[in-house]
Amino acid sequence: MKELLQRLEYRFDVSDIVQKRENQTFLTIDKKHTISLITHLRDIENFSHFVLLTAVDWIEDNLFQLTYILHNPEVNIDIAIRTMISRDNPEMDSAHHLWEQVATYQRELKEMFGINFPGSPGVNDSFILEGWDDIPPYRRDFDTKKYTEETYFPRPGRQTNDPAEYMKNKLYPNG
Amino acid sequence: MSLKDILSPFSAWKNLALEPVTVKDPLNERPGAPRYRGFHKNELNECIGCGTCSDICQNAAIDMVPVEGIETKAGDSGLRPMIDYGRCCWCALCVDICSTNSLSLSNEYTWVNSDPEVFRFIPGADKKSWDANELGWKKPDNYNLNEPLRVKMEETAPDEREMSFLEVVKGYSKEQAEAEADRCIECGLCTATCPAHMDIPQYIKTIRDNNLEEGLRIMYQTNPLPEICGRVCTRRCETVCALGHKGDAISIRWLKRYIADNVSFDEYEKILNEGFIEKTDKKVSIIGAGPSGLSLGYYLTQRGIKATIYEAKEKAGGMTMYGIPKYRLPMEILDKEVEFLQKIGVEIKFNTAVGKNISFNDLYNNSDAVFIGVGFESPYKIGIEGENLKGSLQAIEFLREINKGNKIDIGKKAVIVGGGNVAIDAARIAKRIGAETTILYRRRVEDMPADWEEIEGAEDEKVNIITQAIPVEIIPDEKGKVKAVKYLKAKMVADDKGGRPRPVPIEGSETIIETETVIGAIGQGADYSFLPKEFEEKLELMRGRIVTDSNMKTSLDKVFAGGDAVNRTADAISAIADGHKAAIGIEKMLLSE
Repeated sequence: MKELLQRLEYRFDVSDIVQKRENQTFLTIDKKHTISLITHLRDIENFSHFVLLTAVDWIEDNLFQLTYILHNPEVNIDIAIRTMISRDNPEMDSAHHLWEQVATYQRELKEMFGINFPGSPGVNDSFILEGWDDIPPYRRDFDTKKYTEETYFPRPGRQTNDPAEYMKNKLYPNG
Repeated sequence: MSLKDILSPFSAWKNLALEPVTVKDPLNERPGAPRYRGFHKNELNECIGCGTCSDICQNAAIDMVPVEGIETKAGDSGLRPMIDYGRCCWCALCVDICSTNSLSLSNEYTWVNSDPEVFRFIPGADKKSWDANELGWKKPDNYNLNEPLRVKMEETAPDEREMSFLEVVKGYSKEQAEAEADRCIECGLCTATCPAHMDIPQYIKTIRDNNLEEGLRIMYQTNPLPEICGRVCTRRCETVCALGHKGDAISIRWLKRYIADNVSFDEYEKILNEGFIEKTDKKVSIIGAGPSGLSLGYYLTQRGIKATIYEAKEKAGGMTMYGIPKYRLPMEILDKEVEFLQKIGVEIKFNTAVGKNISFNDLYNNSDAVFIGVGFESPYKIGIEGENLKGSLQAIEFLREINKGNKIDIGKKAVIVGGGNVAIDAARIAKRIGAETTILYRRRVEDMPADWEEIEGAEDEKVNIITQAIPVEIIPDEKGKVKAVKYLKAKMVADDKGGRPRPVPIEGSETIIETETVIGAIGQGADYSFLPKEFEEKLELMRGRIVTDSNMKTSLDKVFAGGDAVNRTADAISAIADGHKAAIGIEKMLLSE
């Protein structure tokens, strides 16, 4: 792991290297060089297995974080590559040409976060939210509770109480 | 084709001898993983019905409903969560936010029924087969969605406090107050316990929203003396705070103080919108400018009723002015608050003792209602030999003189008898004016009625506390001055009737502690001698306290009462609540005429 990280640091401008487990390390690289790093890891360093691609909404910083996890089955090591992209222009180079299944992850992120991957096959097709008409639901400014209340009718017979209000009625109705 | 290629398929046959990793009977046997998130469980006795589970549920799947056999009481709404599994997505946020850790998920997830109604139930109350299931999802240790510890209040260092009457508690900064306010889960369990039923979650919310003017408005709806309460309130609200079960209660008192301290007094009138009230021709006389009288004055003025307060002393505030040391409540705070009340039309006649400078009959005949808020100002004596010696004082009088700015010589050693806030106040002052100070208390520290922060403050300042000590005699020197206190050590004996343990003196355990001053602080009583005989006879009392109805009306016609003279809790916030209730009661009475 140590030599691998040294080799990567020699070739790429990687930062925030954090070893989370004995065989798993996270690192960060800028948006422009992300696909080059992934290609290098796959073709030169034998990270032949693509594990996953996911995103985090850092709304306070106006950023989305993309995390790619790659696996080297020969030495059983995971590398997680983090990159930050602007929330104002949520677009990233596609990696579907490296592993076919990446297209599915990218389609999911398009739907759930609204992050676009131009050129990725079927990226605009519905993933699981057929007929979705609101902002992408994994964005943190999406109000899940409000959406639930507006979209789904309440089951008949349901009734709830506000604890403070209920205590007033029970304990000091005139106070 | 090599030989290896032909033989290798047969190597798989070795697996035939191994134990299978799959489930043998997948149709009948489907155990969830150890931390699988299945149907809910709830420890009903630990749950306090704070409703945070219901609030956080993003699917609106949880209702808070009454459960038979669970009583609504202080710190427990009596409600319990009912889950609608048509909506639950098993995310377990309800478990992770639960303030008492009563809620958890079992790892049971298979349940088939043709009746959809059975999938709505109250975990814990509606018995289920998985209730005793140990496995499932529990909130992991040290994992908290909200901060369990309160923001620490900065204080003057104990060694800097000696000989100083500067305020000990420094107050929160904006960042500290916002961080502390952020911890509040807005359950509102505190509101029922607050004697004035202040809307605590709402005023805390104004700190998060940085809208302190609105916070002040909310506070004045139920409490016109928030600056005082923000410093010296007995804060029973904090004892029932939902967060206190697994961490520190919210610092409600310090947050109240933060709002009051950070809105300028000059802005009060504008913010509270005073001065646009239609005036009536009704007049009410109030005896005593303590918290109950001031509170009543404010709420009557708000209702257009003229309030005149008669105060025997030169300043308003009652016990909060004369009984509370300045390091806890600086006098300017009180003066400003009183000044505001006067500005909006509450009239206060100082140095006017009813029964001496003006007769009760005069007030009674010239007012539409009279309010008695005279407090408990007469100290109880310890009742032992030597109490009349030179050097033996009463704490209330000691505190009053000190607060007036008078000097009292207590010598180099002082003994305080008692365990309430008055005793602790007297001890911390005695220490400040340079005496080596000892408290004698009949029970244990945990039995002391004083506020725990005050006890800690005294300990920090090196006040010596001797517990389970019953004074029996004050011993004079040859000049008739206090020389020592003799006390008996006590053992705690459990009370058969279920009350708190009683101290019983141990025979032959006499101990003598030398001192120059003894300060008695075992409690106070009322003095109703200002009342003419015909009124005093008709005024119904119980154990020295005036009996009132829920509108604070006494047994006397058009006479109301409140404060320490009425309620046993004897704290400022109860007195303030009494004033508010009396205002409503008086308005009701006057309107029905």
